[in-house]
Formats: sequence, C-alpha cells, structure tokens
Amino acid sequence: MAPPPGRIRVDGLGFTYRGGTRPAFHDVSLELAAGACLLVVGPSGSGKSTFALAIAGLVARDIPGELTGSLVVDGPVGVVFQDPASQLVMERVEDEIAFGLESLGWPRDAMRERIPQVLADAGLEGLERRRSQRLSGGQQQRLALAGALAPQPGILVLDEPTANLDPDGAAAFFARLRSLLSERRATIILVEHRVEEAWPLANLVLALGRDGAPIDVGPPDDVLARSGERMAAEGIWLPKDRVVPAQANASPIAAPPPDPGSPIVTVNGVSFGYERDVPVIHDLSLSIGRAERVALVGPNGGGKSTLGRLLVGLLRPDHGTVALDLAGHDPSRLKPAELARLGGYVFQDPESGFLANTVAEEVGLGLTPAEAVRVPGLMDRLGLPLDEFGSRSPYRLSGGEARRLSLAVALVRDPAVLVLDEPTFGQDRLGYDGLRQILRDRSDAGTTLVVATHDLRLVRDLDARVAEIRDGRVVHG
Amino acid sequence: MIVARDLAPAQLDSLLGRTSPVLKLVISIAWLLGLATTVSAGPPLIVALVVIAAGLTLGRIPGRDLARALAPLWLAAVGLATFNTLFGAANGDPGAMTFAQLGPFRVTQAALAAGIGLGLRVAAIGAVGAVFALTTDSTRLADSLVQQAHVPERFAFGALAAYGAVPRFSEDLATLRQARRIRGLRGDWHPRLLVSLLVLAIRHGDRMAIAMDARGFGSGPRTLYRQIRWGWLDLAVAVGAVVTLVLSLATR
Repeated sequence: MAPPPGRIRVDGLGFTYRGGTRPAFHDVSLELAAGACLLVVGPSGSGKSTFALAIAGLVARDIPGELTGSLVVDGPVGVVFQDPASQLVMERVEDEIAFGLESLGWPRDAMRERIPQVLADAGLEGLERRRSQRLSGGQQQRLALAGALAPQPGILVLDEPTANLDPDGAAAFFARLRSLLSERRATIILVEHRVEEAWPLANLVLALGRDGAPIDVGPPDDVLARSGERMAAEGIWLPKDRVVPAQANASPIAAPPPDPGSPIVTVNGVSFGYERDVPVIHDLSLSIGRAERVALVGPNGGGKSTLGRLLVGLLRPDHGTVALDLAGHDPSRLKPAELARLGGYVFQDPESGFLANTVAEEVGLGLTPAEAVRVPGLMDRLGLPLDEFGSRSPYRLSGGEARRLSLAVALVRDPAVLVLDEPTFGQDRLGYDGLRQILRDRSDAGTTLVVATHDLRLVRDLDARVAEIRDGRVVHG
Repeated sequence: MIVARDLAPAQLDSLLGRTSPVLKLVISIAWLLGLATTVSAGPPLIVALVVIAAGLTLGRIPGRDLARALAPLWLAAVGLATFNTLFGAANGDPGAMTFAQLGPFRVTQAALAAGIGLGLRVAAIGAVGAVFALTTDSTRLADSLVQQAHVPERFAFGALAAYGAVPRFSEDLATLRQARRIRGLRGDWHPRLLVSLLVLAIRHGDRMAIAMDARGFGSGPRTLYRQIRWGWLDLAVAVGAVVTLVLSLATR
C-alpha cells in the first residue's frame, strides 16, 4: 500500500559506492509523515549526504553504487545542495526557476503564473533578469530553494544548504524553512551542521555514526535523552554545544589592540579589485601584532578572503602596501620559497588548492627534509594517519577530511603568519576540537593567526581580536 | 580573448541582440568561408568595416567594449601582417617589384599585398567574432540552437553550462597557482596544474549534472518558457549579410 503524498518510508536502507569497501550508510529504517521535518546528523564521513541523495532518488542513478533495502518516497522530490555555484543551472534568476518547470513539461501559461509567485515567496521579486552570479550567497541559496519548490514537489531534500552562508543569509534561509513547515507545504529532509537552528525545526532526528550505522532515530528530545552521550562521543554537534550571540552581527567585544611596537603584518591604504573599476578592498589599513589572533568577520562578499590573500602575498595590491614580518617585506614580491616560510594560507574550498595524486604527496609537496620529518606526527594528530590515508587520492576524502588535509599542508611548514579561510566549515565536533587545540598550540608557540570566518563560536574559543570587514573596509576593530 | 561577459540590456534589446543567434552563427561561418576564397585586401576590409559599423549601431555595443575585445586580435593581425611582409616568399624572387629596402630586408610589392591581405583577414574574423559575442546572450544562443537548429537539448544545455564555466576555469587556475606559490613551489606554470584543473572541472560538471537531474532534466518532454521564432528582422539581417559578402567579394 502506497503511503499518502509526502510520506517517506525507509526500511533497512544502505548504499555502497562502487569500489567502496564498506557501505556509506546502512540499516536505516524510519517513517516520516507528510509535512514533517527529518534532521540527519552525523560526524564527518558518516554518509548523511549520501542518505539524503538516496531519498532524492539520485543515488544509484547519478552516483554509481549499490542500494540495498527498501525506500518508498511518495511524490516528486526537490533538492538543494550546499554550493550555490554548482547547482544554479541558468544564467538569470527567472530562467533558473523556469528550468525545472520546463523539464517537467509545465505549459507556458502555468509557468508565467507560477514563476512570479515563487520569486515573491523567496523574496527575490524584482530580480527576474538579474544574473544569478551577481546575487549574494544568501540570495543564491534562496533562489536554489525557490527553483526546487517551483514544481511543488511535496518533499524537499536539503544537503547542508546554509554551509556557505554568513549568519544573516543562514537566518533568512531558516526563516523560509520555518514558514514552509508551518504551512505544511513540504516534507523536509535536512542535513545541517548549524544545529542551534536546525534542531528546533525537526520532528524526527536520524543520528548516523562514524561507521554509517544509525545511532538512533526518533523525536529530537528522545534522541537527545537516549543517545546524547554516544552522539557527543562520535563527534556530533548537539544543540547545547553551539552558543551563538543572540544577534549575529552584534558589536563584538574588541580584544586589546596589538602592542604597536611589533606589528608582523601592516596593511597600509590598500585597494584591490579583480576587475578594473570593481574594487573589492577600499583603502584598507590594518595592523596585526606578532602572535596575535585576529578574526576577520562580516558578510559574504565583503572582502574577507581577498584581504586574507593580500596579507600573505597571494594577491598584489592595486594601491597601498602590505608589509609582512619585521623586515617589512612586500609578500607579493617575495620568492615562493621565502614566502612559504613566512606565510601560510588555508583555502576555503580545500579541493581548489590540491596539487597531487595522493594524500602523502600532497602534504609532502615542496617540503625541506627538516619539515618532512614533522609530517607523520601532524597527520596522526589531524586524524589522517599516513598508513591509512597516505595512498588515497586527496579528491576522494570526505569534506571534513579534505579540510584537515588542507590544514596539514599549511601547518607542516610552521609559517610565522597563518591565514585560514573558514577553517571550521563542515567540521564535526571532534574535528572542531582538534582544530581549535592545534590553533591554540600554534598561537602559544608564537604563530600569528588570521581567521576569516562566520563561525562566532570559533572567534570566541580563540579569544581573537575581531575585525569586521564589510564592503572592503574595516568597519569595526 | 572573447569570454563570457555581461551584456548591457541595450545590447540585448538591440536589433542585432534580437536577431536569431543561430542565424548570426550561420552568417559568421558563411563570411569566414567567403573570405577564405580570396587573398586580396578589399573583401576583408569591407566585411570588417560593415560588421563594426553594424555592431556599433544595430548592436549598440559601447565603442570602448568593442575596442577592448578587438585590441588583442588586431594586435595579432598587425604582427602577422608585418611578419609575412618581411619574410614573405616573394621577397626572394628577383623578378618581383621592390617596394622598399629596409636595411637588410627587401620588401616586394607582392609580399606587402599578401601580408596586408592576411592581416586584414585576421582582423575581419576577429571583428565578426567580437560582434557576435557582444550581441549574443548565451541563454538565447542555447534556446535558439534547440528551437531553431533542432540541436539535442542535452548538447545545447551542456554547451551553455560550459560557456558559463569559463570564468570559473580562470578562477580555479588562479587559486591553484596561489596554492603552488604559498607552498614555496617555483614557477607560475606547471603541467600538473592542468591535471588539477581538469579534476576540478569534471567534479564541477558532475555536480551540475546531478543538480540538473534533480530538477527533472531529461525526465520527459520539455516545454519552453522562452520561445524563439523566426521574424522579419532575421530575414533583413540575412539579406544584408549576403549583400555585404557578395559586394565585398566583387572588389577582388
């Protein structure tokens, strides 16, 4: 007997990637009522995204592997993925909404009626002909959600939809989900690390363990009471772990400014743009003391990453100067070998900076013998022991593992100034704790840390001086 | 380089902007083939002048944008013309008329004509390409390929995605070069970068394909939100293009 529309019934479901030695997840059984919200949580690599994609019917069709058990999903499914840039298909906002409707064969008149509605619901009215690329990250994710909702799918699968968003963008996205749920417009399967916002939405929580087996399934309070300890031990974020200031952009507590006598990085009147006439950084000045911890916060697109790259000479200012270390070197003119000793940079998207075929090669690339000695210990500490991970491809790691590898690549050189772009993004609690400890140790040993981040917990845990970057300027700090 | 760029609404709504992209593609190819039949200077000169005039008026391309798109191609054209004039085979022919003696170089009239003809052809081809790119919206091109040229949807949308990925490609490359530099590796260029670039492109393509499938792409017959029909404008542009080509070739 088929369940009523929007219902989902999963019985002993599992999936093994082609060539995989163990299932990504297995033995999951649950039933979800129409209009309810299932939150899927689990540590890095526990198969939560794969589970969500299986519900969406994309696993085994688009992703090769073997699906076992039974899955009854009643009705069409809409999907929103993590990265806006690789899920927006069309160039313009209106065409993006139309794409799904066209694919499902909607008549043109029905599309003409539906598209303005969908855009208004998403708060994107007036932007019909805007290029999606020109939208903010938050708007892009709302557009992706609107595109998925346009054909009125009844079931929505959301795979870490707010991971790339700043706190304001994420809050707007969650507000949209709350209103969908209150109108019982869709059954939602949500994979999400922002537990403080996701748990209150859930009617049902599925907690997956490191081995891909379910730890528990049930109403959120029951799961917390029964399995809270086990979940914490597995590295799953629990609602109580994440204490976030009531207002995301509330004035941060400014730590004392650095001892002006010994700045290790001095940014003086720097302007920079990737294209002519489109400045990203405006006449920005900033001084960072030796062994200081600085957090660059602020909205997506405000210039945090660009500033981070300017600090360690990966970009050259159009105007103004950057001086790195006490000798006042211009980092953008240093020879690579000299630069690597002074500055380190951890890219936001780890894969975008990978250069080798194996994990061992990746972390060993360009090292002096003295640095190479540190590799095994560092990799053990980051939970990527070489005997297990050394021969694997850097591109075949889970999100959390790839991020730790990109950290290892920067940490192994022990640079004087280390810039990290969203280092805690997608990390489970164990990964986060490990990272925090390593950063604190490095800081105690005299490394200057600059972290561009939306993660206010990290800012607090590092006890970092906050510099808020908005529209390419320091507006606070 | 002609790359995907933002076109102003004025360009998109201009007469050339509203002309069928497939027709413009056919005209461009016909002109290139026509120009390939001659080495003389007249035809490419006329085609280049007509296409630039059309781009600026009928296409409402801002002069600055057109100049920026043309500059590198025309620089290459001048270089090619100079090289072929100085080192043309005709310069070694004692029977040929000497045009000028520049130090050690003897330049014959035949070599000069061939050099200029070649340079002008490259310049004309560049101008045709630039005006096409600066008046053609990529979404409309894909729509037109599907609706007017009956190209399979998968191919047209794949081409559209690839076109949109061009800026991403250069961003990926910039990041990979930074990743090398920050690790103390010398040289902006390394063959290994191509492997990483390819991996990133394939992964991006995979994710895009999954996103498209997730929205029902290819699940059944598609309907059209943006309809493209042949119109009088297309006929007028086609006639103008044929007249231009015939007249220009008549000056041989």
